[in-house]
Amino acid sequence: MRALDWGIIAVYLAYVLVDGVRRAKGTREIEGYFLAHRSLPWWAVGLSVMATQLSAITLIGTTGQGATDGMRFVQFYFGLPLAMVILGVTLVPFLHGARVFTAYEYLERRFDARTRSLTSFLFLVARGMSCGTIIAAPAVVFSAIFGWNLLWSVGLIGIPTVIYTMIGGVQAVTWVDVKQIALIVFALIAVLVTLLVQLPVAPDHALALAGAAGRLRAFDFSFDVTNDFTFWSGLIGGTFLMLSYFGTDQSQVQRYITAKSVDQARSSLLISAYWKIPLQALVLLIGVLVFVFFLFQRPPLLFNPAQEQAVRAAEPAAYGLLDERYRAALDARATAARAAPSAASLEAFRAREADVSAARDEALGLASRVTGKTARDVNFIMPWFVLHYLPVGLAGIFVAAVLAATMSAVAGELNSLATVTVIDFYRRWVRPEATDAHYLLVSKAATGVWGLFACGVATFAATLGSLIVVVNRFGSFFYGSILGVFLLAMIPRARATGAFVGLIAGMAAVGAVNFGAPSVSWLWHNVIGAVTVVAVGLVLSARRIAPR
Amino acid sequence: MSDTPAPDHASRLFRRTLLRVMAVQVATLLLLWLLQTRYSG
Repeated sequence: MRALDWGIIAVYLAYVLVDGVRRAKGTREIEGYFLAHRSLPWWAVGLSVMATQLSAITLIGTTGQGATDGMRFVQFYFGLPLAMVILGVTLVPFLHGARVFTAYEYLERRFDARTRSLTSFLFLVARGMSCGTIIAAPAVVFSAIFGWNLLWSVGLIGIPTVIYTMIGGVQAVTWVDVKQIALIVFALIAVLVTLLVQLPVAPDHALALAGAAGRLRAFDFSFDVTNDFTFWSGLIGGTFLMLSYFGTDQSQVQRYITAKSVDQARSSLLISAYWKIPLQALVLLIGVLVFVFFLFQRPPLLFNPAQEQAVRAAEPAAYGLLDERYRAALDARATAARAAPSAASLEAFRAREADVSAARDEALGLASRVTGKTARDVNFIMPWFVLHYLPVGLAGIFVAAVLAATMSAVAGELNSLATVTVIDFYRRWVRPEATDAHYLLVSKAATGVWGLFACGVATFAATLGSLIVVVNRFGSFFYGSILGVFLLAMIPRARATGAFVGLIAGMAAVGAVNFGAPSVSWLWHNVIGAVTVVAVGLVLSARRIAPR
Repeated sequence: MSDTPAPDHASRLFRRTLLRVMAVQVATLLLLWLLQTRYSG
C-alpha cells in the first residue's frame, strides 16, 4: 500500500461521511428518518438492497472460497430469483400497502401483540449480534495484515457508519449505498481485468487449469441433506431462506417499503433477482482466477501473517522443513501448469497440486495446534493478492470497496435495529404518545446505541472465532419460523393463538433437528421451521373455530 | 390496502416477471454449466 492507496481510502471515508450527513436535511419526522416519506425511486432502493446484502465477507471471504473451493458456493443463491418473484406478488403488496414502519407491526394488526413482540425481539437479538460479526470479519483481516490494534480497525469501520446512519437515517443509508455498490462493482471488474492481464497464460489455458483442480464445478445434483452446497439445497432451502430474509427481516423489508409505490417496491427487488447470481458468480470466478494466478507465483504457506509469525516462533524447525517442502512443490506445480493443456499434462498438474495442498493442510494443522484455535486462512488469500500484486491505486480502491461493503451492510442493519427498537418497543410499550421530535431524538439515540453494541460485539467476536458460528446458527433457528408466521398471516382462517404457538413449535422443531441430527445442513432448517409453523398454526386455528 | 393488485393481474404479473427473471438465470446457469463440462473433464 502506497501513499496514493491511503489517500484514496481517506477520500472515500470523508466523502461517505459528508454525503451521508448532508442527507439529514429535511429529516424532521420519524416517517422521513425511517422511511424517507416513502419517496425513493425503485433503482436506488434496489441497489441499496443489493448493497446491504454485500459485506466484506463477500469481497474477501467469497473470493477466498472461490480460490480454495471453486464455484460450487454459487448454488447457495439458486433460490433467490424465485423467492424475489414470489415476494413481489405476496408479501410486498401486503407490507407496502399496510403503511407500516416494520414488518412485525403488521403482525399485531393481523394477529396480536405477543406475536409482534416475540418476532421483533428475535430480530433485535440476531441482527444486533450479526451486525457485530459483519464488522469483525474485515477488522480481523485489517489488524493482521496492517498490524493495527483491533479496536482501531473496528473503529475505522464502525464510527463513520454510525455517524452517517445516526444523523441521516434511511435517506443517508440508501443514497450512500448507491455509491458504495458502484464502487464495489468497479473494484471487482478492475480486479478481474488486472488478473486477466497479469496471468502468464491464455484465458483458455487458465480455465483448463482451474477445471483440472476442480475449481469450476458449479453444480452438484446429489440429494445430500448434510451437504451445504448442492443444487437442491440451494434451490429449495435457498428459496425458503431468501423468502425469510427478504420477506421478514426488517433490514431488507425497510429498504423496499421506502419505495414510492408497490410496483416500485417490486421492481427494486427484481434488481437482486436479475443480478445476484451473475454477481456472485463473478466474485467466485475472481477467486478461481486468483488461484490460477498463484500457480505461477510463490504464495506464502500461511496467508494469515499473525498465524505465520506464531508458528514460526513456536515451531521454527518443523515450519522451516514444511516451508521448504512447500516451495519445492510450488515450483513443480508451476512447471506442470506451464505445459500446454492436454490429458497427460493436466493429470501431472493435478498430482503436483495435491502435493501443494497436502503441505498447506499440514501447515494449517500446525497453526491450529500452536494457536489452540482452528486455523483457516481463506479470508486472507484475497487481501494478500491485493496488497502484493494489484497496481498502485487499485489496491486502495479495493480496500475502500471492502470498507464500502461492510459499511453498507452495517448501516442498513443499524437503521432497521433502531426502527424496531423505537416502533415495536419504545412507541408500543414505553411511550405510545409523544411528539415526532421526541421519537426522532430517541431514534437517533437508538442508532448510536446499536452502533456501540455492534462495535463491542465485533471486538469480542474477533477474539472468539466460534461466536460467529454460534450467531449464524442462532439466526437459522428462527428465520424459517418467522417466515411461517408471515405465511400464516396471508391465510384468512389462521388465528392469533395458532400463529404464536406455531412460531414456538417451529423454533422447537428446528432446535430438535439441530441437536438431534446436527449433520443436516442449516439451509434445510428454514424449510422445517416454516412448514412446522404453518402446519401447527392451521391445526390450532381450525380447532379454535370448529363448532362444538 | 388499495395497492394490492387484483388476483388476475397479480398472477399475470407473476408469470411474466418469472419468465423474464428465469431467462436471465437460465442464461447464467448455462454459462456456468458450459464452464464445468468444458473444463472439468
